Amino acid sequence: MKQLLVSIRRTPYQSLAVFSSLFLTLFLSLLLVFCLNFLYGLLGYVESRPQVTIYFQNETSEPSILKVKNELEKSGKVESVKYMSKNDAYALYKQLNKDNPLLLEMVTADILPASLEIFAKKPSYLPEIASYLNNVTGKDEVNFQKNVVDKLLSLTSVVRTMSLAFFLFLMGSTIIILMTITHFKVALKKEEIELLRLMGATAGYVRKPFMNQAVFLGFVASTVVYGIFAGILFLIYPSMQGYLRGIQSLFVDLGPYKLVVWPLSIVYAGGLYILLTLFGMGIAGFATYFATRKYLTIQRN
Amino acid sequence: MIQFEGVTKSYPLGTVALDNVSFNIERNEFVFLVGTSGAGKTSILNLILGDLYPSSGTVIVNDVDLSPRKCRKIEELRRYIGVVFQDFKILQDKDVFENIALGLHIQQLPIRKIKEQVREVLKLVGLEEKERYFPIQLSAGELQRVAIARAMCGDRQIILADEPTGNLDPKTTWDIMKIFKKVEDHKTIIVATHNTDVVNSMKKRVIVLKQGRLIKDMKKGGYEL
Repeated sequence: MKQLLVSIRRTPYQSLAVFSSLFLTLFLSLLLVFCLNFLYGLLGYVESRPQVTIYFQNETSEPSILKVKNELEKSGKVESVKYMSKNDAYALYKQLNKDNPLLLEMVTADILPASLEIFAKKPSYLPEIASYLNNVTGKDEVNFQKNVVDKLLSLTSVVRTMSLAFFLFLMGSTIIILMTITHFKVALKKEEIELLRLMGATAGYVRKPFMNQAVFLGFVASTVVYGIFAGILFLIYPSMQGYLRGIQSLFVDLGPYKLVVWPLSIVYAGGLYILLTLFGMGIAGFATYFATRKYLTIQRN
Repeated sequence: MIQFEGVTKSYPLGTVALDNVSFNIERNEFVFLVGTSGAGKTSILNLILGDLYPSSGTVIVNDVDLSPRKCRKIEELRRYIGVVFQDFKILQDKDVFENIALGLHIQQLPIRKIKEQVREVLKLVGLEEKERYFPIQLSAGELQRVAIARAMCGDRQIILADEPTGNLDPKTTWDIMKIFKKVEDHKTIIVATHNTDVVNSMKKRVIVLKQGRLIKDMKKGGYEL
């Protein structure tokens, strides 16, 4: 550790250049991963909401609503239909606004409409179902979310593609910068490296201080990035909470495991930190390994 | 310990550095390589160190065949060879102690052992007072003694010295040779030199080279060309 710090102190500008380059890449990568996860969570949330909701007028009787439900179920185009009575709606409203007594005081079960929440078997059935519901007697409003899902899906897809391209560009340029800086460092130590090789040092022995320094700077850069990112999140967390009020949780479906991205949890924050640190140390180590490889082969004439 | 059999070393432009050279050097032997510039002395040292490979013939050092171009055991072998370069090759940003300890770090010895061994060898070369001096603070003779100390430190069984007294005054030259004499009983020492007085006085084995050919190999010889 002492040697590592001495080595960083002896090449301050090169170390700063490595740190800055890693800092920028890691910060933007973390931002991209965070936003993408959030978008995926949001997409999953929207997809899990009823795809078509019909709200009925106050005077529509429960038997006629249940008749519509029955017809929808018989159509073969519907996965499930959930009836939400006025009382169910009021119970849900109370749960969502339990922290706001003023809102609770102002609303009673009577003013909330009964509704049917419909999940189609295929997205292509949605326009047909919506069209049928628009002609139902006693309907107040038909809420058709296909457009929202489609827009979010295409937005996620564009963001993902752009993020991937940007991420690859960032990674490529960082590796080139780190390799160039390492070339400089190796050139400065050329005499020492030649001597060490003549004295029987293995390539690994010669490479070790360069690798240690790179991995250490990768660790420091990722920790600083994470600290700053956590600070920013801490500052904007209250406004995010206000904006996402009503959404209990957002998660990314990873097959057997559901990664909860909202509200922020220790598992998610810890996972992000571990990934970021491994990525920072990995990219710095990778670039240094390849930069030094060329100089460490024993050339026998 | 060191075996050269019909060794020829030629370079792509046609220069022949060594031409069909054969000799054996036993363990703990002291050998002078003499000859004019370009006779092939340094090529022999570089072949022993594995820095060169022979164009034809066989070079075996410590049972390791160094003849093939690719030899996996070179690093391991080099850990048992100490080299004293004509231009010293002392690292300017490290002090005397650190320069000498380089080889011991490569051998992965514990710090306590490294300190012990470096101090022992510093005493041998008479630099015990200057272990924290930087190269810029030392004379040419002292630098050469640091280079010798580095070459002798640790488990180095073979010492190769390329013109170790080339730029030194006669008194310092003899100081250096005395250091070699102190360890000659337990190390194989090969010294390439032009120094007639040293070779004549030491009465050691002398291998004489001329234009890449071995022309004389004398058990207790003097400087003859």
